[in-house]
Amino acid sequence: MYDEPIRYMERTRSYYAALGYPDAYRWAHHDDAPFAPLSMPLRETKVALITTAAPFQPELGDQGPWAEYNAAAKFHSVYSKPANELPDLRISHVGYDRKHTSAEDMRTWFPLAALWRETSSGRVGSIAARFHGVPTTRSQRQTTEIDAPEVLARCREDGVDAAVLVPV
Amino acid sequence: MGCARDIVEHCGVARFLWSDFPLGNSAGRPGDEESQRATLDMALTLLERAWAPRTTVQSPLRWNGAPDWKDDFLKIELTPEEAERRRAAFEDQKAVARARKTAGEC
Repeated sequence: MYDEPIRYMERTRSYYAALGYPDAYRWAHHDDAPFAPLSMPLRETKVALITTAAPFQPELGDQGPWAEYNAAAKFHSVYSKPANELPDLRISHVGYDRKHTSAEDMRTWFPLAALWRETSSGRVGSIAARFHGVPTTRSQRQTTEIDAPEVLARCREDGVDAAVLVPV
Repeated sequence: MGCARDIVEHCGVARFLWSDFPLGNSAGRPGDEESQRATLDMALTLLERAWAPRTTVQSPLRWNGAPDWKDDFLKIELTPEEAERRRAAFEDQKAVARARKTAGEC
């Protein structure tokens, strides 16, 4: 039984080659990775969640459990929603393991409820007023030049100290 | 927090909690609140304790679904009809991206 980490890049190349697109994608790569240590204890830190999941839009087709890939449900610009109530976020617009992931439990891709518990216990200082959704796009330029700066600006508006990114 | 180790490490991030689960389960196992709590807990601990960029911690949690999920995922078996449907969907996406680029939206 195969038990090494799945080589997703290799698998994706094979998939697109099978569709007739042998050079379909170039993955993002940066020589330098950002890093900053927490400047205060976690119990004093304001944390924001960042997701690639999409708000449910019932007019856009099946976005529920076991849904097939649904490109119509993609979003193309950063969105923000209040972090003091549970949203209805779906992942039908993303390529994931559709045979082994039912997508029935939003908590598996969006840990806001778990983060609430961490603030209730005092482990985390507070949660930012908003969480943010980032589009999944083949354009690295869009991500680095438009979407990431927009998310950063919104986090700064909310006084965020640290962000947890949970891509699907 | 994520499930695709090679993609995230190839990109280069500050800290990465890797869960060796099927894609779509970056924050824990479905219907398993304890695994979801534990996964976020590990990510927060990593936030506190990492001292250098590109720090990856592998969650010790194991997928409790079908044990051959990886073998399964690695198989690419498309009927000609399904391949055509997916090609069409891919071309639609590219058209949307081109239109947005032309409109100056990206």
